[in-house]
Amino acid sequence: MTAFRSSAGAPPTDPRERLMGGLLLGCTALAAAAAAAVIGALGLETVRFFADVPLSQFLADLAWTPSAEEPGFGILPLLAGTAQIAGGATVMALPVALVLAVFLEFYAGKRTASVMNAAVAALGSVPAVVYGYFALNFVTPALKGVWPGLEAFNGISACLVVGLMILPTIVVLSREALGAVPRSILRQAVALGATRERAVLRLALPAAWLGVLGSVVLAMTRAVGETMIVTLAAGNPTGVSWNPLEGVRTLTSFLAQASMGDLAPGSIEYGACFAVAAVLLVLTFGMHALGRALVSRGQADGPGGSRS
Amino acid sequence: MSAPARSRENHRVRRWLRALGGVAAGITLAALGMLAVVLLLNAGRSPDAGISASSGLVSALAGTLWLALLTAVIAVPVGVGAAVYLEEYAPRTRAWRFLASVLTNLAGVPPVVYGIAGLALFVRGMGLGPSILAGGLTLAVLTVPRVVASVRRALASVPESLRWNALGLGATRWQVVRDQVLRAAAPDIVRGCSAALLRAVGAAAPLLIIGAAGFTTFAPASPGDPLTALPTQTFAWTARPQAGFPALAAGASVTLLFVMALIGLVLWDLRRRHGEARR
Repeated sequence: MTAFRSSAGAPPTDPRERLMGGLLLGCTALAAAAAAAVIGALGLETVRFFADVPLSQFLADLAWTPSAEEPGFGILPLLAGTAQIAGGATVMALPVALVLAVFLEFYAGKRTASVMNAAVAALGSVPAVVYGYFALNFVTPALKGVWPGLEAFNGISACLVVGLMILPTIVVLSREALGAVPRSILRQAVALGATRERAVLRLALPAAWLGVLGSVVLAMTRAVGETMIVTLAAGNPTGVSWNPLEGVRTLTSFLAQASMGDLAPGSIEYGACFAVAAVLLVLTFGMHALGRALVSRGQADGPGGSRS
Repeated sequence: MSAPARSRENHRVRRWLRALGGVAAGITLAALGMLAVVLLLNAGRSPDAGISASSGLVSALAGTLWLALLTAVIAVPVGVGAAVYLEEYAPRTRAWRFLASVLTNLAGVPPVVYGIAGLALFVRGMGLGPSILAGGLTLAVLTVPRVVASVRRALASVPESLRWNALGLGATRWQVVRDQVLRAAAPDIVRGCSAALLRAVGAAAPLLIIGAAGFTTFAPASPGDPLTALPTQTFAWTARPQAGFPALAAGASVTLLFVMALIGLVLWDLRRRHGEARR
């Protein structure tokens, strides 16, 4: 691509060429301005927030209670909640998704594969709020039959449903990674006496593992940002509990809950929302960059091109 | 290990793999099935007459259509244009690469964060209040990076030789992009844009943050009217514990899924027709 771009040479003289180049540049400028506005707006209010609340308190306090009489502004409890939900959801989704990806890529017949592709795509396009409804009105009551001690708002139901929501991300991207392993290598292995299973488990999976890891990171990015399921199913407790039968509060569900009350601009709670949003921005931006890098490394790693 | 023993072991492995795959497929299908059954059963239950008389979906439906239109009209051209510029025009300097990576990775930032930004920028900064326009702009801002990310990937997968051959035959840069690159990438571009658009249509969190109403008395007729949409209406009804509201929320969910399916169908048709144009 490098050469094609730099082959521009002298600027084009044809008015149509210049018009299109200008239009496309204008679109880029608009997109960049929007990105700058988002980052700037969050940054500005966050800086204001840190003028009132010292950074040390934000990082070290063990309570996040911005509206209390003696407010606590520690981000750690929210981070702990987010880690519980994202980690729990990944633990639930990963085994199923990985097995499904291997099965669909190497074993399933055409019919099965197309049915499952449609099912996975359907799961991937259900809006989060509908998943939240499902968690609150079906999964939690169903789990209550198993554990009578389950609270109405609990972490386990949210983890299960967030896991269901991120399953398609892992399946689709892991399949892409497995599909990028050159088929010729697998055939050679089989020709040399390896069984199909050995080729799949000992060759294809190790060769695709960077891409698979990337798919998991991208899925976790979505789980970290998931708002509606957690808000509806996991409640809004102020304390930190590692018991999955109790409620969990995450970075995102705090934002949703806080916005339902009255947020007076300039108040400390208003600033706190922006600080939390800034933390989420940095966290998910970094995770997305890492996940995408892994996914594209996974594709570039193989010799490529020899798929047949 | 003797040959027969190894063969037995491999048979066992194969059986296990197939069984596990079947179980995983079953779990996925069962989850999807349960979701559908729960929604349809609950939506079929009639809520109390007192609630249902004052709980129509017309305003939320109108709001969602407005939001989808605004988002599509703003985010798709800007996102596609920016991606084309970044992939096909911009020089490979550090500054341009930085901009491209920032725009692409903003696609991973969750909608709720854009809601907070929209609150500061559109609702308060531009003084739009919690209106349809503020909601549409917020959704557009969150959709642009997603469009940029997927269109960049689509363009990057077009073989370089296609560009060189066209250029060598005397095509100008824009002719190369329009007639070769965009045409070859069209199915992937439409697929990426529709996924991003549908994600925006189903997003509840950012609209909730900027102040979507859970109760409105009239359908929005212009972008300046109060913000209401199907996802936020679903949320408002789901969050109410009183009897009758689960049925309403299920009805709103089914309506939302139906609207998304319709939009998806239109976009799928578009993709099909563009896919045929591909050589």
